[in-house]
Amino acid sequence: LAAPVYPAWLGRLAAGRQRRAPAVRPARPLVLANQVANRRLRLGEATCTTEMSLLMACWKQNEFSDAACAKEIQTFYDCVAKTDVEHKERLKQESLGHMGNLSPKTVNKLLRRFPNITDDF
Amino acid sequence: MVAPMAGRLVALGRRLAAPARAWLPGLTQVRWSRYGPRYLEPELNKEVYRKPLEELSEEEKTQQELKALQPIKAAASNVTSSVFSDPTISKFTNMMMKGGNKVLARSIVTQTLEAIKRKQIEKYHQASEEERESIECNPYIIFHQALKNCQPIIGLCNIQKGGKTYQVPSPLTDNRKRFLAMKWLITECREHKHHRTFMHEKLSQELLQAFNNEGPVIKRKHDMHKMAEANRAYAHYRWW
Repeated sequence: LAAPVYPAWLGRLAAGRQRRAPAVRPARPLVLANQVANRRLRLGEATCTTEMSLLMACWKQNEFSDAACAKEIQTFYDCVAKTDVEHKERLKQESLGHMGNLSPKTVNKLLRRFPNITDDF
Repeated sequence: MVAPMAGRLVALGRRLAAPARAWLPGLTQVRWSRYGPRYLEPELNKEVYRKPLEELSEEEKTQQELKALQPIKAAASNVTSSVFSDPTISKFTNMMMKGGNKVLARSIVTQTLEAIKRKQIEKYHQASEEERESIECNPYIIFHQALKNCQPIIGLCNIQKGGKTYQVPSPLTDNRKRFLAMKWLITECREHKHHRTFMHEKLSQELLQAFNNEGPVIKRKHDMHKMAEANRAYAHYRWW
């Protein structure tokens, strides 16, 4: 398809301001694509850093022995398990679309199922 | 009338000749299952079936009724319902296997467990009365404890930032920890042994050392922890 041909009355719609040619002439047709750009929505942050630093401090004191730092190790594991569950829950909510906007991944999946039909047949 | 029909036929021909996703390099499906989605997994634990009807909870009863109606997959050939089958040992045997020679790998593991038992019994008979209680003779317990002692707690992840790759300390999943412990054990036994020593001999030595929290595999785990501790400044480069 070449550059789109707009009907003449569209140019005359700009009533009130100076009638001149449209400022932007699109090279490709103004048709929605069947996928969205994959931009990272928001940068996550490292989880369980406090527990990790506590564990490492304990290690430094006790020469990296696991028996001496058993409590810190357990708190670290608990934190990791908790954040894992939260992460999975968040991903599920994201894919269902309950958290505001949909993620690009979900949008692309939906568009693949229900694409914009550009052909006539 | 004719032109759009011709266009449609051409498009149809194009679609039939090269359907979407028929063959994409690197995306051929090689592993597929003959089982449909309704098939249930087999229950290998005999104790589940020995329980009398009264002791079953509601959900277990519904599950058993479901099993009477829905088809069940055949059990894999590497799992049994015997008391001697251990999933950790099976995983270890598979990791030690070379070229599909499961018979050899399994015999090595059995000989290793026997060697551990022999050594421990020798120690038991030579020890005094008070020490005898603390000596562990069950090779399976020794194997599991040694593996647990070898598992790292924090791993390192390669993260690229600003053109440079940093080793960032990050938590590991249980599967990854187990894999690393087994991998380190096997690599240590393969590389640092005299060529005239048998694998089961060297493995039993390493396992007993790991059980007592000493030896080269434990040292490797500590090295990993030290690296993580040294790189703790980069911990914020993670985003998950």
